[in-house]
Amino acid sequence: MYSSELIKGTLKTIILKLLSDNGKMYGYEITQKVKELTDGKIQLTEGALYPTLHALEADGILTTNAVNVGNRIRKYYTVTKSGKKMASEKVNEFQDFMKTMIFLLDLKLNIG
Amino acid sequence: MFVLSEQQVSFILNDIRRNGIELEELQLNLLDHICCIVENEMRSDQNFEEFYRSIIPRFFKRELREIQEETDLLLTFKNYYTMKKVMIISGTISAIAVVFGSIFKIQHWPGASVMFLLAVLLLSFVFLPLLFLIKAKEVKVKQQKITLGIATIFGIIVSLATLFKVMHWPFANILWLVSLGILFFLFLPIYFFGGIRNPETKMNTIVSTILILFAGGMLFLLTNLKSARQYNYLYFSSTENIGRSYAFATEQNNLKIAIYTKDSLKSKTDYNALKNSCDELCNKIEATKNQIIEFASSGRDPKPTFENLLADYAGNYDLPTSQLFGENEEPKTQLAEIRIGIDNLKKLVKEKYGIENISTLNTDDVNKYGNADLGKTTWEKGAFFHVPFELVMINLSQLQLDIRTLESSCL
Repeated sequence: MYSSELIKGTLKTIILKLLSDNGKMYGYEITQKVKELTDGKIQLTEGALYPTLHALEADGILTTNAVNVGNRIRKYYTVTKSGKKMASEKVNEFQDFMKTMIFLLDLKLNIG
Repeated sequence: MFVLSEQQVSFILNDIRRNGIELEELQLNLLDHICCIVENEMRSDQNFEEFYRSIIPRFFKRELREIQEETDLLLTFKNYYTMKKVMIISGTISAIAVVFGSIFKIQHWPGASVMFLLAVLLLSFVFLPLLFLIKAKEVKVKQQKITLGIATIFGIIVSLATLFKVMHWPFANILWLVSLGILFFLFLPIYFFGGIRNPETKMNTIVSTILILFAGGMLFLLTNLKSARQYNYLYFSSTENIGRSYAFATEQNNLKIAIYTKDSLKSKTDYNALKNSCDELCNKIEATKNQIIEFASSGRDPKPTFENLLADYAGNYDLPTSQLFGENEEPKTQLAEIRIGIDNLKKLVKEKYGIENISTLNTDDVNKYGNADLGKTTWEKGAFFHVPFELVMINLSQLQLDIRTLESSCL
């Protein structure tokens, strides 16, 4: 398990990338998918996931589709066109960030 | 897999509602999520309610409503950011407009009023309300929100009162007094008694209250200074004195002309020509004065006295300028005719009565604003363009008196 600060900064990137790759998904499915892909190393907390999903929806980056499941309603999220663009931007930004971090931390380690 | 009954679903929904999840969309999301957990993770030998109680702490650190609060924060953050941006832009434009408006006003350049209007409208109706909304979000105590609200209203009314004052619009003084009333009787008491209770803010509150009282007192003093009234009296009495001299000169001239035309050796027509041309010119000037007064008191019932007009319009040069000058700062017909009349009268006096050096009624170019460094301007502009109301009235009355004096010198 990674610390929540580390996950918080990358939450949007994770959500957008997952939804771009998998089409429509619902909240629980997203948490399970992340858990499965990372062997449980990353577990999204509901307290962070849902506020972010709602904010992304309000910004027009995600759209929802409500489906009746048994005796409750499930909201499926999909990325819009601008969301797809944002997803690739976020992934690129993160890639760049990683390179910088590797460089920065390596450098510090070498000095140390 | 465990399948939830309808009662269990409503149980969950009610529980999350009770615990502060207000947004319906969020309720539906959480409900589905919890149901999924129950269906996928609960063993068949476990009790539903016990299992529910055990999984719900996953959703928060202290209480469930954190999710609602976090959602609210994220949803408003975007607006909040735009609001801050608009506030800063409007504030900057307003400040720049007020500085340039003042410079333009002092220099008598066109556009000063538009800039003041823009500055005050932006400040009162965009900047200050946004500032209030943003600041009110930051403070938690209700009393502080009220103080902020009153301060905002005070700021709006003070800037509107200043605009009204500068533009010489009616009710400026009332607005000004209302804003001071709000400051002294609403804002200060609430601010003072609110702040003094808290030991942390006590010192600051006392110092700020003293400073605000001091500044407010000075503002009140400025509004109540009698000097304006003294000046108004001065203008009033000088127009009255000129008027009296004018009436006396007119009467004497008429008497003289009446005597001369009866048994004078001089020809009758000469005097009538002089009298007619003087009368016509003086009437034209009188009509111009009346037109300005009429315009100044338009829409007011009962008609204000000249003294009241002085109190409202002393220092206002827009009003007479708009009546006497048209586009491109050219004198309107009436003023142009007065000038022609004066020049013709002087020609007549020179030719028929042999008076060579006429030192009154000089229509030569004059120094701009009486300052030789600023260069020359026409007689019309020197005496009337961007000249305050009270001086325009005095200048016009003086012209009438000068005409009668010139007439008298021919008799």
